[in-house]
Amino acid sequence: MIKLLGAILILFAGTMIGFQQAARFAERPRQLRQLAHALQRLDTEIGYGHTPLPEALERTAVATPEPLASLFRKAASGILETESFTFRESWEQAINLHWDATSMRGNEKAALIRLGSTLGISDKEDQMKHIRLALLQLKAEEDAARDDQGRYEKMWKSLGILIAVLIVILMV
Amino acid sequence: MLARVVHLLPSELKTLLERLSEQMQEQLEEIRIREGRPLEIGFRGQSRFMMQDGTLRQSADGAYKPSSDTCRKLLERITNYSLYAMEEELRRGFITVSGGHRIGLAGRTILDSGVVRGIRDIGAFNIRVAREVIGASSHLLPKLIDRERKTLHSTLILAPPQQGKTTLVRDIARSVSYGLWPSAEAGNWQGRKVGIVDERSEIAACVRGIPTFDVGPRTDVMDACPKAEGMMMLLRSMSPEVLIADEIGRPEDGEAIREASHAGISVVATAHAFDLQEARGRPVLRKLLDEGAFTYVVELKRTDQGIMHRVVPADAIGRAVQPSSRTAADNVHALSGRLRADDP
Repeated sequence: MIKLLGAILILFAGTMIGFQQAARFAERPRQLRQLAHALQRLDTEIGYGHTPLPEALERTAVATPEPLASLFRKAASGILETESFTFRESWEQAINLHWDATSMRGNEKAALIRLGSTLGISDKEDQMKHIRLALLQLKAEEDAARDDQGRYEKMWKSLGILIAVLIVILMV
Repeated sequence: MLARVVHLLPSELKTLLERLSEQMQEQLEEIRIREGRPLEIGFRGQSRFMMQDGTLRQSADGAYKPSSDTCRKLLERITNYSLYAMEEELRRGFITVSGGHRIGLAGRTILDSGVVRGIRDIGAFNIRVAREVIGASSHLLPKLIDRERKTLHSTLILAPPQQGKTTLVRDIARSVSYGLWPSAEAGNWQGRKVGIVDERSEIAACVRGIPTFDVGPRTDVMDACPKAEGMMMLLRSMSPEVLIADEIGRPEDGEAIREASHAGISVVATAHAFDLQEARGRPVLRKLLDEGAFTYVVELKRTDQGIMHRVVPADAIGRAVQPSSRTAADNVHALSGRLRADDP
């Protein structure tokens, strides 16, 4: 009886681990897409709206789902809260703080940090160019992430359950 | 006065400047910040370099030098982290921040087919602390009142830079707009509609079109607008009764003032000139004076006791440069708040 219960628990755990890994692969392209939308919004606010950066970030946050929204919100509030911060420092702090809550990886993080070091300190055309460059990089990452999703999502889903079955068989 | 601009400064500059004595902080007029070069401050028309420990010296040796990081932080703060939203300001070379303080910028310009499109690589800042002296015009105004029309006479105010012209016209605008006529017989007159053409955003110090100085409830401001064009626009659109413009001098300004005075509008204008004689040396001003566009000419001079003014009726100018009917001493009054109590 206890053996059966243990086997069911192992099966359940294995399946869950597999699904969780698979979800990460499914989540990443979705978040990259959301991030790209957010940057496009920022591009519009800066290029056409001439909105000051803190306000532009707030507005972007409103139109973006979590966890990205809190990243933008933190970047905007950081400069107001800490007097000695430059915008770049506030931006990097926000990214480091909220990155673990996302499913994104190092490449897009590097692209975002690079964007942060240019935001707000040059003219409109320059700003738009930098945002578009970041968008291109995100697009490339998104394509790669979709490939990965196609390849690994299903694999992880079955792998989890199969490993659990293997462990149960070995134990019996 | 430091307290008014301290929110603009990055923390390292803030700590440094707060070491100044209280009296010095109060007299502060300018903070000049140049990247990698000595920090300079201006007060009461003088200037000193600032040492690391907050003392002031005349020589630049050993002075505190702002780093590029400090300058970047300063730039971010004064532009609200949005340099891209300041294109017009960068073209003009200064940013007006809320409170009316003006920050002059210098650096490498970007040219677009020979026209300056903006400044990039900004390496020098000049923070000019704006001061609003309410009541600065209370001694001058009674002499400019037009009793028949219950308004002001057209007046030209002459002074070299930094003598308080702008402070004075701002207060005139405010008083006329509120209807605060500092004169017994005019006590119950209504305020007048005032139009200000503020080409350099100094009089009203508009931020996004809204004046940050109190220029009165019946005042319309055409901000950052070329004077001649702005005067014509206000004439057509806002039907002002008193029109105020700073630093006239171009031929088209003369045209616009002539147009306004034909329409029965009082014009209060300022011009850079040491005195009347020098003003008459400038063709545009001489023509306006000869045509009688102004009823009075006011000369301003900054002395130790405050700002002195001398009112000269313009019809006397044609005959002699010096006013013959009145002695200069009669018309000299201190405009400063300190001396106001001594006056009858």
